[in-house]
Amino acid sequence: MRKWFILLLTTVAALGLGWGFFGENGFLRGQSNTGAARAQTSPIFTTAHSSVGEAVRHFFGIRSEAQQPIAYTHKAHLDRSITCDTCHTGVNTGPQARIPDIRDCMECHEFVAMDKPVIQQITAMWERGEDIPWQRVYGFTDEAHVRFNHAPHIRADVECSMCHGDVAQMTVAERVVDHTMGFCVNCHTQRGASNDCLTCHN
Amino acid sequence: MQESSTATTTNGPAKWGMAVDLDRCTGCEACVTACHAENNIPTVGANQAAAGRAMHWIRIERYFEGEFPDVHVKFRPVLCQHCDNAPCEPVCPTYASSHTDEGLNAQVYNRCIGTRYCANACNYNVRFFNWFNPIWEKPLHLQLNPDVSLREVSVMEKCTFCVQRIKEAKIDAKRDARPLADGDVKPACVQSCTANALVFGDLNDPESAVSRLSRSPRGTKLLGDLGTQPKITYLQREG
Ligand code: HEC
Ligand code: HEC
Ligand code: HEC
Ligand code: HEC
Ligand code: HEC
Repeated sequence: MRKWFILLLTTVAALGLGWGFFGENGFLRGQSNTGAARAQTSPIFTTAHSSVGEAVRHFFGIRSEAQQPIAYTHKAHLDRSITCDTCHTGVNTGPQARIPDIRDCMECHEFVAMDKPVIQQITAMWERGEDIPWQRVYGFTDEAHVRFNHAPHIRADVECSMCHGDVAQMTVAERVVDHTMGFCVNCHTQRGASNDCLTCHN
Repeated sequence: MQESSTATTTNGPAKWGMAVDLDRCTGCEACVTACHAENNIPTVGANQAAAGRAMHWIRIERYFEGEFPDVHVKFRPVLCQHCDNAPCEPVCPTYASSHTDEGLNAQVYNRCIGTRYCANACNYNVRFFNWFNPIWEKPLHLQLNPDVSLREVSVMEKCTFCVQRIKEAKIDAKRDARPLADGDVKPACVQSCTANALVFGDLNDPESAVSRLSRSPRGTKLLGDLGTQPKITYLQREG
């Protein structure tokens, strides 16, 4: 009798997990971006996980690679000594670095490299009034409750590469640095910056 | 941050506090609305509110005096008193509720596991438990404040004295290489108070507006005899 009961429980658990992993929007099908999938489809905005799979992935801190819609390249731009803040305009002044939108691209590409197929693709999107749906590479989950701020770091001469790796050699940005709490707190201790919990969490 | 927490004329960390002039409060509740907008505080609906699950980091308490038709209403804004000897802190098993160098009574949501001991220990009823994941009907989510994180289900939340504004003011002051001046930091409730009933500032600076008001002979502490040492001073009504 007891054996059968245990077998039943195991089956239920396995089915549940299976649904979480393979089901609609499940673990193996999930989107890489924090909240991006749920943000678009539902009429409400909530901090709840949209599926068991998403909850499991958040819990274990698993994120899949971002798939960018355009074969964008950092290297081609940075080789021509275009600076980071030409595109990431907020980085010196505020919390967010900002990811450029299509109008920022067109400021140059209306005149530069118009013969390249990628640029023609972008120009066509621009003419249709569309934006480029970039996927996020870095960023925290809601539950991490982290409020990051770029500007004080740039003013304190912390290099982009400390936190983002050598972007100048990348095509699209890759997540090469893990923004764990230890990573932040170690440098703050070394540099004498605040390690009060509320500095980063509020 | 050792150097940058230097505030106004004093050395060392600030000690943030507030003074509430009850003679000036008209009970308009602008502060309540401003607080909700600034701090992404969700509403829970009429049914849950009736069950005592509404969340208001600041509220206006009403007291009626006299017999009809000669009734007087007195108002008292109540928010977290940021006690120096806070009863909510020692009861937290995970140190989610703790004191910062600047005297803020902090709630670190990451650490909170939702025991609700702190809310039970608090004498002022100013800690709120998230019974549900908060919900905003689209497009209302577009007005959420990006400087304040969203609290999920089973997390305790409370007034922070708008710590995001304190941080911003300090970062701006450092950028401009000037000391933080009295009045640079205004929490949302203080900013929205049309009657100037609420005054916020550094209690370690004897010349700040809040320090001067706190020394007033009208000054009292809410439930002061409990020994919680609140950092909010209420100036009693004379009228
Ligand atoms: C400050 C001017 C400037 C801005 C802004 C700019 N680019 Fe460029 N981009 C260039 C220059 C210069 C080149 C090199 C052209 C060449 O190879 O002849 C380039 C090259 C490229 C290439 C490589 C083309 C190829 O196949 O060799 C791509 C793709 C590209 N840009 C996409 C973008 C996108 C997407 C944006 C908007 C986020 C953008 N660019 C914004 C100046 C700019
Ligand atoms: C101290 C570490 C650190 C440094 C230095 C830093 N970043 Fe970031 N960056 C982050 C973190 C953390 C995030 C994720 C923030 C979030 O999502 O809240 C981020 C996000 C970004 C993003 C995504 C969009 C956004 O605004 O969040 C861009 C673009 C970016 N950084 C560019 C830069 C550039 C350019 C520099 C140098 C000028 C730089 N960063 C320096 C830590 C850093
Ligand atoms: C020509 C415009 C341009 C320049 C210049 C540029 N970027 Fe970017 N950056 C982009 C675009 C477009 C994206 C979004 C696509 C992607 O993730 O690669 C991006 C994405 C990023 C991201 C990932 C953001 C996230 O979290 O999704 C980081 C980090 C970043 N850039 C850092 C830098 C750094 C550091 C520099 C300077 C060394 C720099 N970028 C210069 C256009 C630019
Ligand atoms: C390589 C060193 C370094 C790393 C890594 C780093 N920081 Fe910082 N951070 C600093 C320095 C230096 C300052 C102080 C700037 C100042 O005093 O003006 C600072 C300041 C800050 C501030 C503003 C403090 C204030 O005055 O309110 C915040 C917020 C912050 N860091 C968050 C983070 C987070 C979150 C991370 C991890 C993703 C991080 N930092 C990683 C060096 C670092
Ligand atoms: C310099 C910035 C910084 C400071 C200071 C800091 N944290 Fe963190 N903390 C982070 C970052 C960034 C993460 C997110 C790590 C991740 O997402 O992997 C984090 C994550 C956490 C987590 C895990 C959350 C989760 O859900 O995985 C806890 C718990 C936590 N912090 C508690 C604290 C406490 C308590 C303090 C004060 C003693 C504190 N933190 C101070 C940056 C900081």
